[in-house]
Amino acid sequence: MKNIWIKNKRELVVLFATIVMACVFTALNATFFTYNNFLTILQQMVLNGILAVGMMVTIITGGIDLSVGCTFAITGITVASCTVNGMNPVLAILVGLVIGAVLGFFNGFLVTNMKLQPFIATLGTMSLYRGIAYVVTGGLPVTSVPDSYRNIFNGKMIGGIRYYIIVMIVVFVIAYILLAKTRTGDYLYAIGGNEEAAKLSGVNVNKTKYVAYIFCSVCAAIAGMVMLASLGSAEATAGSGYETNAIAAAAIGGTRMAGGKGTALGTFIGALMLAVLKVGMVVINVDSFWQFVVTGIIIIVASYFEFVQQDIEKFMVRRKTA
Amino acid sequence: MEKAVEFVKINKHFPGAHVLKDVSFSVYAGEVHALLGENGAGKSTLLNILHGVYAEYEGEVLLHGKKVSFKGPNDAIVNGKISKVHQETLVVKDLTVGQNVTLGYEPRKGVFVDYAKMNKDVDEILGQLNCKFKSSDLVSELTAGEMQMLAIARALYHHSNIISLDEPTASLTMKETEALFEVIQKLKKAGVTILYVSHRLEEIFQICDRATILRDGEYIETITVAESTREDLIHSMVGRSVAAVASRLKPSPMTDEVVLSVDKLSGDKFSEVSFELHKGEILGFFGLVGAGRTEVMRTIIGADDKISGKIHLNGKEIPRIWNTKKALNAGIGLLPEDRKTQGFMNLSMNYENVAISSLEKYMKGPFVNTKKKIVNAKHYFEEMDVHPRRVDYLTKNMSGGNQQKVILARWMSTDVDIIIFDEPTKGVDVAAKAEIYRLMEQLVEEGKSLIVVSSELPEAMGISDRMLIMCEGKITAELSKKIDFNEDSILNYAIGGI
Repeated sequence: MKNIWIKNKRELVVLFATIVMACVFTALNATFFTYNNFLTILQQMVLNGILAVGMMVTIITGGIDLSVGCTFAITGITVASCTVNGMNPVLAILVGLVIGAVLGFFNGFLVTNMKLQPFIATLGTMSLYRGIAYVVTGGLPVTSVPDSYRNIFNGKMIGGIRYYIIVMIVVFVIAYILLAKTRTGDYLYAIGGNEEAAKLSGVNVNKTKYVAYIFCSVCAAIAGMVMLASLGSAEATAGSGYETNAIAAAAIGGTRMAGGKGTALGTFIGALMLAVLKVGMVVINVDSFWQFVVTGIIIIVASYFEFVQQDIEKFMVRRKTA
Repeated sequence: MEKAVEFVKINKHFPGAHVLKDVSFSVYAGEVHALLGENGAGKSTLLNILHGVYAEYEGEVLLHGKKVSFKGPNDAIVNGKISKVHQETLVVKDLTVGQNVTLGYEPRKGVFVDYAKMNKDVDEILGQLNCKFKSSDLVSELTAGEMQMLAIARALYHHSNIISLDEPTASLTMKETEALFEVIQKLKKAGVTILYVSHRLEEIFQICDRATILRDGEYIETITVAESTREDLIHSMVGRSVAAVASRLKPSPMTDEVVLSVDKLSGDKFSEVSFELHKGEILGFFGLVGAGRTEVMRTIIGADDKISGKIHLNGKEIPRIWNTKKALNAGIGLLPEDRKTQGFMNLSMNYENVAISSLEKYMKGPFVNTKKKIVNAKHYFEEMDVHPRRVDYLTKNMSGGNQQKVILARWMSTDVDIIIFDEPTKGVDVAAKAEIYRLMEQLVEEGKSLIVVSSELPEAMGISDRMLIMCEGKITAELSKKIDFNEDSILNYAIGGI
């Protein structure tokens, strides 16, 4: 028990804060604490959650991917066109995943072989990918996506749970395994901890960074396909600004912006917290503009908590030794 | 004699550790006073207390007879007239020398900085220090030795009469060291009190008047340097007798088999370097700082790109695309010169830092198993006598010598049979040095081959079977027999003479 606390302190504290928040919402409006609302929260966090977990992996290497929202849009448009033109939905999903991988590969190429700063490189591809989306569609939405595709993500199973919630959970489990159980995971943390030391220890830094950026873009592609399924149409403007929410979820969940630290569980809880906030504000009838104010405050408090936590620890140790 | 600094019963606790225990001694005004002790003896902690970095401690610090307690390092510099020159000098590289010296306390004319006055004042101080650079020069163009002088100039700008130097010569060339010593003598004549921390005992005998020795946070003794010997100092630092210089207990089981051959290798900072490494030998690479040795080694292991030349490993030429991962798989690894920036991952615990190069050994099915990593690290910690024996500590919190052992354990966990040590004992205390030498002997005994890059001549001479000397990017001599090792001629080769 003590071990779980030590290992997942950050995650548990954010979870506790989320629960407290949920209790406050419930006290203000009892409908918050219902099964249906619980499902709404999960549905609400799907897109941001999938984007955030990919984002977190790039942040762990000491980088960032600002182009996720645009990868999201391009994938949506392409998959929509494919299905509208009669392509088999499963095949269309594969096409979507490949697009994600290719766009991620290009980001990886820029930050490794071209040695660009990740922030600048993905700021560039953000505009580039968005531009491609506009040029390809001519700014017009692609509509009337067939149900055969939509039902793959949008369909409901027992208890009214939509399949895309399962998709999100699978993505998180894969991220967890990648980070905590595989060699690549160790390399990702090592590069974020000290890239030069990792390189001199025989870590293939470039290859590992490719993995991070490809994983991130594939996550963005998956999110784009989920969005397409639930809306039934795609447009070039989709997903703009989504990168900031993804970064926020990762940060609240304890991902270190300078790299080397972050977990799938933490990011999940970070995304959950933002979703609880969003749904809660609606349930208690607060103007949605306030949501931005509160989100901002939470990000700042969560980052500050890192320092407070160290002080608390020092204090505890001192009391123990004294 | 007037006491410039007096420590009275200083005690300092860190979480879980009592690092200074009732330390009391004094430093006379105008002397050069050495502070000696192994890594972790408490020297840095004591200096940090003196310079106001740690405000919480028990006991009293008196400067010129008056009790002081500073709010922070700046308070100590400005109000206490007491400055510290760091091991790695802290400078803002994109500013000029004058801006760095006066940083935060620039001369002003109204709201604007008075650059004319700044340059005039700083140039005057630089003149006193016999510096060749000017106040208006950019810091990015200075050498390591010149930056050290900049830090001293900063101390003088604040009229400091007590200056601490923490390992000031660690990255200086011989010439720069001499220049530094001249400055120290000059400051001493001017009545400045110097506290001097260094692991290089020769230096203590060259410039210090008295020395205080700390061991495990306890005050051991204060001695007059002129009346003591090297062995005395080492004995009271370590608490037992240790070989004072690098020495070999037995010769290497050297063979004629060539495991690494480098043919006319050229890179950014070196050209046409050729040499061979035999199985079971320790090959020394001596030279002054900046001779290009590190760059050669980094190119061999694939961390830097080569311009031309060939490298053969175990008779096979390395492929065109070469990186550190491939080098590791081919059986060659490097222990870097600067542990903090190149050696370990600073957010990682010891067992993770040990495991990073040999993860395939800790697999359980398709997954990496943490328990196996811990078992492996524990094994090496036991074998190499690492202190503290905690594989779950953050490596950044270990002392220099033990960090080096953690990184050595990393390479011993792999199957590499060629290990390159770049300045293996930089910032490592005497006892740990002796242990690292012993481990090197053990490694060649097991059939591995080692290259040791060192700028410390006694170390290079003591540990090597064969020695190559580099100067300005070229190999200037090869000494293949131990009897040929001669201090004067080696130094001559290192500075490019014939």
